[in-house]
Amino acid sequence: MNISYILEAQNIKKSFDGVVALSDASFTLNEGEICGLVGANGSGKTTFARIISGLIKPDAGQLYLYGSEINLKSHLDAEKLNISMVHQNLSLIPEMTVWENINLGREKATSWGILKKEEAIIRAEEAIRELQVNISLYEKVSQLAPSEKQLLEIVKALSRHPKILILDEPTASLGFKQVEILFEKLNQLKQNQVSVIFISHRIWEITRICDRLVAFRNGKTVGEIDFRIQPRDERLIVPLITGKKENGEEKSIHEKRPIQSFETSDVILEVENLTKKDKLHHISFKVRKGEIVGLGGLNGQGQEEILFILAGYLRKTSGKIKIDGQEVTIKHPSHTIERGVFLVPGDRQKEGLFLNHSVFTNLIYPWVAMKKQKFILPLNKLREEANQSIHTISLVPPDLNKLVSHLSGGNQQKVVVGKWLSLSPKILLLNDPTKGVDVETRRNLYHIITDLTANGVAVLLYASDNEELIANCDRVLIVFEGQIVDEICGDGICEENLVACSLRVQ
Amino acid sequence: MKNGFQFKNFYQNPSFPSFLILLAIIILNAFLQPNFFTYRAFKSNLLTFTPLILTSIAQGLIILVGCVDLSLGATISLITVLMASLMGDSVMSMLLVVLCGSGLALLMSLVNGFIISYFGPPPLLTTYATSVLWFGIALFFMPTPGGYIPSAFSKMYRSELFLRFPVALIFLVGAFLLLYFISKLKFYKHIYAVGGNEDATYANGVNVFTTKIKVFLLSGLFVALAAVCVVAQTATGDARSGLGYSLNSVAASIIGGLSFSGGKGSIAGPIMGGLILGLLINVLYFANITSFYQEFMKGIIIIFSLAIGAIPKYLKTRSL
Repeated sequence: MNISYILEAQNIKKSFDGVVALSDASFTLNEGEICGLVGANGSGKTTFARIISGLIKPDAGQLYLYGSEINLKSHLDAEKLNISMVHQNLSLIPEMTVWENINLGREKATSWGILKKEEAIIRAEEAIRELQVNISLYEKVSQLAPSEKQLLEIVKALSRHPKILILDEPTASLGFKQVEILFEKLNQLKQNQVSVIFISHRIWEITRICDRLVAFRNGKTVGEIDFRIQPRDERLIVPLITGKKENGEEKSIHEKRPIQSFETSDVILEVENLTKKDKLHHISFKVRKGEIVGLGGLNGQGQEEILFILAGYLRKTSGKIKIDGQEVTIKHPSHTIERGVFLVPGDRQKEGLFLNHSVFTNLIYPWVAMKKQKFILPLNKLREEANQSIHTISLVPPDLNKLVSHLSGGNQQKVVVGKWLSLSPKILLLNDPTKGVDVETRRNLYHIITDLTANGVAVLLYASDNEELIANCDRVLIVFEGQIVDEICGDGICEENLVACSLRVQ
Repeated sequence: MKNGFQFKNFYQNPSFPSFLILLAIIILNAFLQPNFFTYRAFKSNLLTFTPLILTSIAQGLIILVGCVDLSLGATISLITVLMASLMGDSVMSMLLVVLCGSGLALLMSLVNGFIISYFGPPPLLTTYATSVLWFGIALFFMPTPGGYIPSAFSKMYRSELFLRFPVALIFLVGAFLLLYFISKLKFYKHIYAVGGNEDATYANGVNVFTTKIKVFLLSGLFVALAAVCVVAQTATGDARSGLGYSLNSVAASIIGGLSFSGGKGSIAGPIMGGLILGLLINVLYFANITSFYQEFMKGIIIIFSLAIGAIPKYLKTRSL
């Protein structure tokens, strides 16, 4: 414990339903300093921020404020200690107006409880003017653009005049100019001895604005860089995030897919200028038979939207999609399923399976739904086919009558893949297929997929874990803010390259 | 400052469709009901509509906070049974019994509110369960309609004050004034916040639990008023007297432009919705539609009203 720190966190632990989010996080913050907090997706940054702001309670560990231990029971406690947070999933109420949102939770009222409306509006006006935002006070939040909502969220946190301000990816939806204004404001706060914790995936922002940075990896604090002593070099930060030392120890659990050339194979999927309003901009790419193409980049840059549009869940605004050289209009999932394009969803329990039904029911369902059927199902024939499918996917245990909810997560995912096999897929769209699946089944699953590609099936894979892209893809397209910004092939697919491209480090 | 009246704000208000429906149905009524604009017709309509409007306000508040209460009707029933069992002829006893009934209504709302906001089961099922419970208790004490309500009590409800101001209208005006006062409170903003997004409201440091409890208590107050009107009008205690009110009040709230998921719409909406439903029954009666078809027509018109209210939302989500 050191008195000179304004905030100190020691050995914070937190897990949600057995999933460890923070295993050993420690953190210090000086007065009047901007400290960056970096880490890959799921490294525990947001969980940590939520603990400091009192929204969730840690399982273990100590928090010190000005050297004395504090115990935050609720968000109100943190607010009383002048800790304010700019939330990532916004804390605004869409159906309420801007001024109501800015004042929410600390409205002034008379002794009768009557809201002092004029005062509240004046306060909101002052808060908005301070950040040079151009929003009407009487507009409903649901009518605002994403960047305006983000700014409003910042305005709201600032209007509480915090001593410690936590910003959780505040710049994700801001434009260049707005980021400049924010940075100017943050520097001004720093002059006034306010301490700022700045969480961002954009490394260039960290190096520009922060005095120091702390890196998290897998729920642990793994290092810090003090820019007042060390150079502001982006290359120093990436290895902290990825966990790879310069000597390049390989910790991959996957055997890498051999490099092949697909130049001569037929193009099976061609996407031209695919655009979805506010989400995707002019996406163009080709996938050839037998090829596994990865969609890389940070989470939520539009990868899922690409898959959803191809699967018919979402509608595109403009652009062309060609399957087998033929342009197709996709208005409903059945349109792509008919053409042999199948989606393996990320949330298998919600989107991919009927949990309370048997493996058999789940396996035959697409078949029953899609093929022209006789009124009475040929159950014996279907059973035979289903038996073949579970053999191909090597389901454990190979029992058709078992309820899907009784299977392990990995085997559930095998069923999701397996249900498409009887329909002879041409293109598989995999949306983060190994979320919460153990290493062994993970390898198994990719074996099945590799076997399929040997038979000419093309795969479009989005994985939040870079290692999966590295091990399995022939090509990786890096998606950033709804655009394909890079393409990495063959040997170039490695952690450093992926992270550097995702973060747009040159 | 753009704080003034703006036509755009007016027709984009979620209550706007219900306002149109209300106008239409008033015009229809004026044609069908003889002497619609006379004092007599006004008063007789008023006596019939008041309980539903009051219950709709109670329901509307609960829907605004993101819940729903299917036990409002059974609450009314149980209170009528209580009042008809206890009431005597003296003014003192009437007053005491009314207070007693109101206290019971508050208690019942509190039970609903506490279960829902503390343990977090779905409000729909919770209040369905409690409604069965209240109904059961009411049946236990009064299997058939009965009890005693002094005629003086009923007469008081039907009487007029100076300038022929009907007493029933006092109930409504009192309720509106109370609503107006509430709408000025800081707490009123919290209702919309909790209904709009509970987690975000919590993150802003608002106590979600107490907000919900307060809303349930408030709705209990309006239900108590409604129950007093029902008792005064029917002059009996009846375990079945309130049954229609639960779902009718939900329909009135949604017709009035409230969103079933909460946090959206104006509290004036349920008032208009209650009026629409009341006038609707009038129209069907005066249009000489046989009682066999009345329910059928009522159903069709309610679906129609709900559909009109849903059109803007439908147009918005279709562009997905």
